[in-house]
Amino acid sequence: MSAEPFDVVVIGSGAAGGTAAYALTRRGARVCLLEAGRDYDPSAETPMFARNADAPLRGASTPDKFFGYYDATVGGGWDVPGEPYSAAPGTEFRWWRARMLGGRTNHWGRVTLRYAAHDFKAASIDGLGADWPFDYREFSPWYDRAERLIGVIGRNDGLDDAPDSPPGILQPPPVPRSHERLIVAAGRKLGRPVVANRAAVLTRPIDGRAACIYATPCLRGCSIRANFQSTTVLLPAARATGRLHTLTGAMASEIALDREGRATGVHYVDTATGAHRFVAARAVMLGASAMESVRLLLNSGGSRFPGGIGADSGALGRYVMDSVGSNLWAQFPQMENLPPFNDDGIWFPHVYIPWWGLAEQRAGRLDFPRGYHIELYGGRMEPAADTFDLLDEVAPGRYGKSLKQAARRYYGSFVRLSQRGEPVALARNRVEIDPRGSDRFGIPTLRFDVRWSEHELKQTAHAQKSMAEFIVAAGGRVLGDPRQDPARAILSPGRVIHEVGGARAGSSPKESVTNSYGRVWAVPNLYVIDGAVFPSSAHKNPTLTIVGFAWRASEHLAEHLGRA
Amino acid sequence: MHDRREVIARLLRVLAAGALLPALPAPLGAAAERADPQDAAEAGALGYGRDPNLLAPSVPWPLLLDAKLRPTVARLADLMLPADERSPSASALGVPEFIDEWISAPYPQQAEDRRLILDGLRQLDLAAGGSFATVDESAAVALLDQLCEPGGCRDPLAARFVACFRRICLIGYYTTPAGVAELGYVGYQPAAHFEGPPPQVLRRLGV
Repeated sequence: MSAEPFDVVVIGSGAAGGTAAYALTRRGARVCLLEAGRDYDPSAETPMFARNADAPLRGASTPDKFFGYYDATVGGGWDVPGEPYSAAPGTEFRWWRARMLGGRTNHWGRVTLRYAAHDFKAASIDGLGADWPFDYREFSPWYDRAERLIGVIGRNDGLDDAPDSPPGILQPPPVPRSHERLIVAAGRKLGRPVVANRAAVLTRPIDGRAACIYATPCLRGCSIRANFQSTTVLLPAARATGRLHTLTGAMASEIALDREGRATGVHYVDTATGAHRFVAARAVMLGASAMESVRLLLNSGGSRFPGGIGADSGALGRYVMDSVGSNLWAQFPQMENLPPFNDDGIWFPHVYIPWWGLAEQRAGRLDFPRGYHIELYGGRMEPAADTFDLLDEVAPGRYGKSLKQAARRYYGSFVRLSQRGEPVALARNRVEIDPRGSDRFGIPTLRFDVRWSEHELKQTAHAQKSMAEFIVAAGGRVLGDPRQDPARAILSPGRVIHEVGGARAGSSPKESVTNSYGRVWAVPNLYVIDGAVFPSSAHKNPTLTIVGFAWRASEHLAEHLGRA
Repeated sequence: MHDRREVIARLLRVLAAGALLPALPAPLGAAAERADPQDAAEAGALGYGRDPNLLAPSVPWPLLLDAKLRPTVARLADLMLPADERSPSASALGVPEFIDEWISAPYPQQAEDRRLILDGLRQLDLAAGGSFATVDESAAVALLDQLCEPGGCRDPLAARFVACFRRICLIGYYTTPAGVAELGYVGYQPAAHFEGPPPQVLRRLGV
């Protein structure tokens, strides 16, 4: 393999690596794609239309399949056998991984929100953390391209926190479901926006991909390619150029450097045999997922870069973030005993509550610096193992015919509101190599030390209160206590699976690991292109920004390779 | 066959003593330390793993419910979800078999449920002086009334047992095609458009 003349080795095949493979091969580059997990073919493997009745434990969450039996994730979960990680005493970090071609794009929630101008420059506004090394005007063409390629539904609502896309890009969103209409009405009452969700799913066919058929959950993946997965959109196009070579079961262990400090290729372990191998290339792109990319930087560099490639900046492994999350459950009497009707839709939320507090925040009237949005889940979904988890709360102590009456009455009337907020990037929130840890390949593992600050706790207190206001205004009742201690309501870091940072991009090698293109300051032919480069993490789910960043970085590298 | 009034009296006495479960020889919570062949079987059992065949699902773990407890499970499941004018009983929809699948699974949540369920079932049988399955309807109803009543069990473990058993019954019943139909779920139909809720539903919602 080392004899093959590759232009670029790309590590990781998800949103970042898949985009790089797509963009680079289109520009004529010969790419070797390393994926730690197994090959995966959504057209042959997706259990569309399989029913919970046929799954072990009726599809209930287990440590093997946390999101249910049919979830697309292969070889992964909150822990990966033989690939441990740890957390500093008194802290908890949950790290979701996948070991499959396409990575976590096969399973993700597909919420696809653009950063607004202020999201790239939050530090200039409130003095916390760091700005991105470019602004919205410079980055928005990459959002346009990314949205066109992956396919996004939504509407241009002209909101200050949710930039419009150019005309002709967004596809028509479906009308709201029943429970979502209650929240839309509550928004009108409260004077707060509730708008069409932006989600990476087609309602009109493009590029040979079918439109959504409004049936079967998207977390399983999509064999008709209606939603965006690296394996249905990016990798087939890259493969079609004839310039993509994919190595699955290839766990990268170290980036190789020559005496001048330039990357020469990547050492990896063949996961089937344990054999150590090497693949050479003119350039290397790291899209292994934020924390795996940081781990590779920490584990590389040798004596030339003690502490890892990019450690001299003081930023490597630091400013680790996850979206701030908390949930509040509601029950809606209007939704009891409804007649049968199909409310499946596109599986993801059809509407969401964007952040409405920007002006208030600017005026100093809120006690937390960064915003959040609210997502809606629940309603009349396919009966599953968790459908009646809350039945005891509204109909305690039932058995017999009265239990069956309660099941019929309350089915579909439970709704979950979920806060998704922006954290503040702090240097103290970090990952480092665990001096006592290594995985089954002998590669040193990560230790997380990430704690929420008062910023996230105050935001969560506000979000719990806001979610309760929405529920009450919609005529529902809140299950649980929304005024509970935010430290108990907030999800542990990592739980939202938006972990980013650790190798932030910036405008100076003194405080960042890469430049604005993800090019590592110290190693000019090494790029970091995934969530690791995020200097801040707006409340908007990171995937769209990762795709845009990776595409922009790949074009930059393609110019550099001189194969334009 | 035990005298009906005697059985009711004994069941209620056990409850009135403040504890259905610890009143009996094998206290709940001791299960973990007990040399139980079922726990031994559990030790070697494997789950379906991180990469099961999603197109041909199967349950790889051995079932642990012994023959003596099966009628007890069926009786209690049918008390939880009996046949009515709209739908069949729990046992007619395979709920006892599902309970066996659930409590036999080698995962932490199911292992915790297993200890609670098996101890609870055994002690119901002991309190019934043989098998709870043979207790007559009025005795069973008297017991369930008290077990299910919020605050009705002074023993929190008895309350947990009944809540756990009910939860597993609900899963086993309402994920079957008949259960799904009874709830009025009619999705999973591929369509070119999403029509949204029909007018009569929108009227009910008041939107």
